[in-house]
Amino acid sequence: MTDGIERIGELLAQLQSPDFFEREEAVKNLGACDQDEAVAGLVTALEDPDLGIRELAADILAQMKSAIGAQLLIRFLGHEDIGTRNLASEILVKIGKTSVQPLVDNLVDDDYDIRKFIVDILGLIKDESAVGPLCERLWDNNINVAVSAAEALGEIGSPEAIPDLVKAFEQIEDARLQAIEALGKIGDPDTLEQLYNFLEADDPMIQYAVIEAIGHTGVMDSIERLIPLLDHEDTTIAEVSLMAIITISEANGRKLNQDLPLDRFVDYLFDGIKRKDKIITDFTLSSLSHWYGNNVVESVLDVLDSVDEEDSERFIDALSQMEASALDIMLQKFPQASPKAKIIIINILQKNIDEDIALKLVEFAFDEDPEVRAKIAWILGMSGNDEIIPTLHKLAQDEVGHVRSAAFRSLGWLCSEQNADFIFTGLDDPYPDVREAALGALIIVGGTQVTARLTADLYHESTERQRLAVTALGMIGETEVVEPLQKAVNHPEATIRKSALNSLSKINQDVNPDLLLVSLNDENSGVRKAAVSALMSIKGEAAVADIRFLLDDGDIWVRYHTINAIAETGCEQFGEYLRPYLNDDQDVIKIAATKALAQLGCHEALSDIRKLGQEKNEDLVQAVQEAVSLLEGAH
Amino acid sequence: MGTNAKEEGGVVIINLDGRLDLASGTALKEQIKGFFEQEKYSIHLNLSGVEFINSSGLGSLVSIMKVVRLKKGRLTLSNLASYVQEIFDITQLSHIFEIYAIEEEALNSYNTVSTS
Repeated sequence: MTDGIERIGELLAQLQSPDFFEREEAVKNLGACDQDEAVAGLVTALEDPDLGIRELAADILAQMKSAIGAQLLIRFLGHEDIGTRNLASEILVKIGKTSVQPLVDNLVDDDYDIRKFIVDILGLIKDESAVGPLCERLWDNNINVAVSAAEALGEIGSPEAIPDLVKAFEQIEDARLQAIEALGKIGDPDTLEQLYNFLEADDPMIQYAVIEAIGHTGVMDSIERLIPLLDHEDTTIAEVSLMAIITISEANGRKLNQDLPLDRFVDYLFDGIKRKDKIITDFTLSSLSHWYGNNVVESVLDVLDSVDEEDSERFIDALSQMEASALDIMLQKFPQASPKAKIIIINILQKNIDEDIALKLVEFAFDEDPEVRAKIAWILGMSGNDEIIPTLHKLAQDEVGHVRSAAFRSLGWLCSEQNADFIFTGLDDPYPDVREAALGALIIVGGTQVTARLTADLYHESTERQRLAVTALGMIGETEVVEPLQKAVNHPEATIRKSALNSLSKINQDVNPDLLLVSLNDENSGVRKAAVSALMSIKGEAAVADIRFLLDDGDIWVRYHTINAIAETGCEQFGEYLRPYLNDDQDVIKIAATKALAQLGCHEALSDIRKLGQEKNEDLVQAVQEAVSLLEGAH
Repeated sequence: MGTNAKEEGGVVIINLDGRLDLASGTALKEQIKGFFEQEKYSIHLNLSGVEFINSSGLGSLVSIMKVVRLKKGRLTLSNLASYVQEIFDITQLSHIFEIYAIEEEALNSYNTVSTS
């Protein structure tokens, strides 16, 4: 112990060193001691000439949360230097509950500034044990202390303070506002009757505070008392009343079931949205489905420029609930809107798009902003109105690829095979997205005529057109595409042959598998693999006899693919075809064969598979373990 | 194509399987028309069993979607097999339809929308 005290003595002496680093070291070391002397030393360091040392000491004291530290710090509340006073206050707040009793003990300090400081700190700590002593300070002979006490009681929010706050409101003229605000923060429904009485106050500032306090109680019934105030001649009283109603509604899960006369509050509400006031924004958005008009829509358009990405989605959802007449107003205002607002309006219209809106929107289809043009092109397609096809044709020739792409996509929605010729022009577009959009459109349109043109395209001079044609035919997937795809398995381009086989594999019906056999001998390994898949898909296990010769293909991946295809049949009888490949030169084939034989449930292969467990290849050994486990389990 | 329908929380849930082509697409439209006649426009289609869809099948879905839009209802899809998803992507219908990975997610979206 003596050594400890000696050590602290040394550190306290070190605090007086002219060297910054020595003093810093001393503060850190004092922080590691838990004796009161060390705490006292840290408190003295709050007067160090260097800010860094002062802040370090403050941090350590805040972490130590020592009662002695709190007592000593209170003395600094009367320090001549304001910075030191503030620093002491901050530490006391951070120390929290441990500071409360020492602070309460000093609430009767002769210096009213110190009393006020203490009251403020207790309000920030928010510990309910301070409520009683703070209520006594409401009657402090210094009004600043009394006002601060009311504020602190509001911060703590304990209903225990209500009787004293009511009394303070009635008896202390200069603390009325703070007393009411405190009652508002406490928000206890039991205060309502008194708050209603206080509504009669002469001072408008008091009235505002009373209305806010009523709002904070969250009692739905009190809305009836507030609604008449929405027509009050004092605009601020009307606005504060609206805010109180909104607060109550919010506290009750937005259960406000009546329409409010909101026209007077357009500026107030939309300013709230611009300020990003969440409660006002939520309320306003929820009101828009039944509250609109020229001035509202104008305000909406005005505010759309200031909403961020997240709020923009909420606006779109809320505004899309507006009635058709409101959407009409929005369309009228469209030309004056900013590009950003236009996009949001179009997104709103998208949710309500029908033939009529589409026709009105056509007027704006050639907006100067390409983003707007693309967006309009996109939603016109959803309208189902084929009268706008000529507009889409023009947009499909726009100078911006993005716009052309949107137009072609929409044409797919609106065109039938009788008027789909134009879509083929998109297949030659220099911009890949436009070509893909045209392709998608043709797939949706489908039909005999489109199929015929795509079939011709299979032998187009452009390989890109060939690729697009075979893809489209495969995805159109109707009976009439089967014949051209079957012919395409003999196409000069390997990619087309492969794609045709893949598509036939998916279509599956009406396909003549005999016509695909030739592909098993294709010069291209990818085509051979596709042929294996197609035949297996179409003929099932009957295809095994056709494809088994590929188990000896020159390409390792064709062999691998064939093994897996046979395994997919699940027929044990094919195990004998695969067993020889357990001894293949290539590990990847041994692994495939091992897994396949397990999948087929080929128990005869079990001893051969076990032998592979001695191999060095870890993947093979793992495959063997799994296969053995599967086969033994099944057995 | 087999279908079976049930209702949950005001949403008609239809499970589809097999091939969605001209014949089955027409049958599906007829089935859903029955729900439309009962003023039911919240439709969820679970496509987990659909292994193939062609142009006519897409056309059926687009046609159902147009009615749902007109009636301000919702049509959601879920559990698309990879090939079906590929077709939706190529035709860009994945931007038009509300597609969810799983049915539960789609049904939750109805709850979220109605709450807000």
